[in-house]
Amino acid sequence: MIRITGGKIYDPAQGIDGQVRDLCIDDTGKIVETVSGGRIIDATGMVIFPGGVDVHTHVAGGAINFARAMTPEDHRRTQAFIRTKTRRSGLGGMAPTTFATGYLYAGMGFTTVNEAAVPVLSARHTHEELADIPIIDKASLTLMANNEILLEQLEQGEYERAKQVLSWYLWAAKSYGVKAVNPGGVKAWKYGHDAKALDTPIDGYHRLTPGQIVTNLARICDDLGLPHPVHLHCNNLGAPGNITTTLDTLARLEGHRAHIAHSQYHAYGGDGWDTMCSETTVLAEYFNSHPNLTTDAGVVLFGDTVTITADGPWQHLLYKLTGRKWGNLDVENETGCGIVPYTYRPSNVVNAVQWAAGLELLLMIRDPWQVFLSTDHPNGGCFWRYPEIIQMLMSAEFRRECLKKLPDRVKSRIKLPELDREYTLLEIATAMSAGPARALGLTHKGHLGVGADADVVVYEEQVDIQQMFSHPRYVIKAGEVVLEDGDIREAPQGKEFLVRPAMDPATNDFIRPLFEDCYTMKFEHYPVELERIEHPDLRDCQPPATS
Amino acid sequence: MGGKVTCTLGEVKQRADFIIYWGGNPAECHPRHFTKYTIMQKSKFLPRGRKDRTMVLVDIRETKSAKAADIFLQVRPGKDFELITILRALIKDQPVRDEDIAETGLDRAAVEDLVRRMKGAKFGCMFFGMGLSMTRGKHMNSAALLTLAAEMNAFTKFVAMPMRGHGNVTGADVIMRWQTGYPFGISFNRGYPRYNPGEFSTVDVLVRGDCDAAFIIGADPGATMPQPAIDHLARIPTIVLDPHITHTSRLARVHITTAPQGISAPGTAYRMDELPMPLSPALKSPYPTDEEVVRRINEAIAKKPFWLPDGGPSPHQWTSQVNL
Repeated sequence: MIRITGGKIYDPAQGIDGQVRDLCIDDTGKIVETVSGGRIIDATGMVIFPGGVDVHTHVAGGAINFARAMTPEDHRRTQAFIRTKTRRSGLGGMAPTTFATGYLYAGMGFTTVNEAAVPVLSARHTHEELADIPIIDKASLTLMANNEILLEQLEQGEYERAKQVLSWYLWAAKSYGVKAVNPGGVKAWKYGHDAKALDTPIDGYHRLTPGQIVTNLARICDDLGLPHPVHLHCNNLGAPGNITTTLDTLARLEGHRAHIAHSQYHAYGGDGWDTMCSETTVLAEYFNSHPNLTTDAGVVLFGDTVTITADGPWQHLLYKLTGRKWGNLDVENETGCGIVPYTYRPSNVVNAVQWAAGLELLLMIRDPWQVFLSTDHPNGGCFWRYPEIIQMLMSAEFRRECLKKLPDRVKSRIKLPELDREYTLLEIATAMSAGPARALGLTHKGHLGVGADADVVVYEEQVDIQQMFSHPRYVIKAGEVVLEDGDIREAPQGKEFLVRPAMDPATNDFIRPLFEDCYTMKFEHYPVELERIEHPDLRDCQPPATS
Repeated sequence: MGGKVTCTLGEVKQRADFIIYWGGNPAECHPRHFTKYTIMQKSKFLPRGRKDRTMVLVDIRETKSAKAADIFLQVRPGKDFELITILRALIKDQPVRDEDIAETGLDRAAVEDLVRRMKGAKFGCMFFGMGLSMTRGKHMNSAALLTLAAEMNAFTKFVAMPMRGHGNVTGADVIMRWQTGYPFGISFNRGYPRYNPGEFSTVDVLVRGDCDAAFIIGADPGATMPQPAIDHLARIPTIVLDPHITHTSRLARVHITTAPQGISAPGTAYRMDELPMPLSPALKSPYPTDEEVVRRINEAIAKKPFWLPDGGPSPHQWTSQVNL
């Protein structure tokens, strides 16, 4: 039992904005009204947030493990974690090792993360990696927008069948929701092509277009009653002028819930690299008038990183642009994956536009319940650099200092110099915890109400915002003090969130012959057994009553 | 140069109309490769199966795999790197002298025919074996071939994959990478993982006599390593977990017999394309699994006092962050 006294609580879900209250935690790791006895933590003068929630990150599975293999030069220069009695050894850096990932997230007050891109074929691997990430709770999303068995159902207009197939795949992967990456484009990449226009039939299909995949996936996620809506990486990522594609995509989501991943990468104007500019104003306006949508910013931070995505054709382009290492892994029937190490430079006009665009979206989308903190780790920058973003959001003065480092010719292409908004602590708590928890449908996360999971972070209020958010004074996970005075004290195992959607039992027999035609493993071996998941937190999904 | 452009084996089965085996003999070393994944399978995109695919074998001698090939190219031993470099030049229409081609043991017509076929393929795949990766040039050969595959994507779809074997060596790679960032050749002697093949690889550590104990699971270094390494294994307390009596178990101080993986022990094995496959054992074994033995050893160690003097963290645990 723990009682935290005297701290200023920021709990956006309950509208508590810095009021001084006691916070009580019972032995089952939940927030309660009151406790008698137990430890008392004096948080006088400190700031209390619900534990951070990362809605979009890449921390486990084939892709990040590929990136680890490709960047040994970074491992050697980066933060080393030496083994102690409670901690295992590891490495930080651009693609941190699993144990280090848990310590780094918890070390800055994040207690739940969502691994945003998992092929079903390697889901078994991803879950084994997730089990090796200590402290934090985890969820994972399954890549579905280029799955050929599913696309075939959509091509034939068999919506109900497609829904059953998708449910079957989600349960086979032991997943939490649906991720769509470059719908149709990754499938086309199998023969070296891409899909850039939403209404052009995809390579290999007569009728099916990327636009139809987007709409159908959003509808299926809603109809299945999944806690998290379709999590969409739009077509045409990273390309100058892609704002047209993005707005066109959003229009196909009318009437549905959706989460748009790393929208910074989808908010560019211009018609080539020479003329590329930020078009965040129109994108932010769209979000401001469409409460059915949420997004994460996908902020770019200057420095070295490694880009990893299921968007194979984009990574081939990035390899051609940079001439650096290129990893590619096409996954049979399901998806692809590309890895390219990358350095974002302030002197590079394209990079400078990207840097500004991420911040612009966070500042111009008015409702912090709609836009969340992310770097699309490790694509725009590493997750352990989030405190740098928080500082830029909270201080217009600091942003102006950063802007001085950019070349003058960038200034006409970005909106950031005109923006004076500064996030309050309550808005930061919304964008890094309450908002993403709500978007993920994790009702017991992201708030400090009675009954919530006791994931709590206590910061010492400081003028140096980056310092404050980099080094919390206490981090409590499920009622256990895991970090105290800058040191990881305990490294308990977190949970994994899974959903079990309703499914027609005949689906198994329907999929079997299709599966055996294109896969190279035994059908019975394909689904991940529930027993293989360590500490599962399983939720049965039922279609909403209204549909 | 660097990276790896690859795919899972199902992609090869479904799409590869052009396949090169380079420095490998799958007919004898991976006998199911042709039938399950590469040349014999029919698919939606290649409905006539073998007839829709072209297979090229590049090797220093005519192995049994040559019978399965449409084209056999006999490269002169030690000239693989040169041949790959010539191909990299020719695909980009750069001039190559006849005498440079002749040095590889092939003639211009054969090499230009290969380039034409590579560019004409819809989906090309190159598998490379130890005949490439462990001969003169070693990892430079692998890097050159992987680069050729990457560069071919300027013209058509092309991938490459190493022909890995030796049980679950890929699985060991994958797990070491997620736990330490590195695939093998890792030293923990500073308390965190460091990587330097040639210094921290098992054979180097043993030959230098750096380790004072050895714990060996599912491997038989006593059969394959150089004599000084084997001598050191015999000198120090060596513990072996293995279902069988092996060269290593004979020289070990302790041999714990374990259940064989996949036959009577469950678990996960990673295929050469890094896909995890669950193992479903057909038989029961009176012996414990490797996993159980290691778990029980860990439990016994946990009861002993912690190895750092005060049981607490060391003073330099958070090394300073290098600014990027």
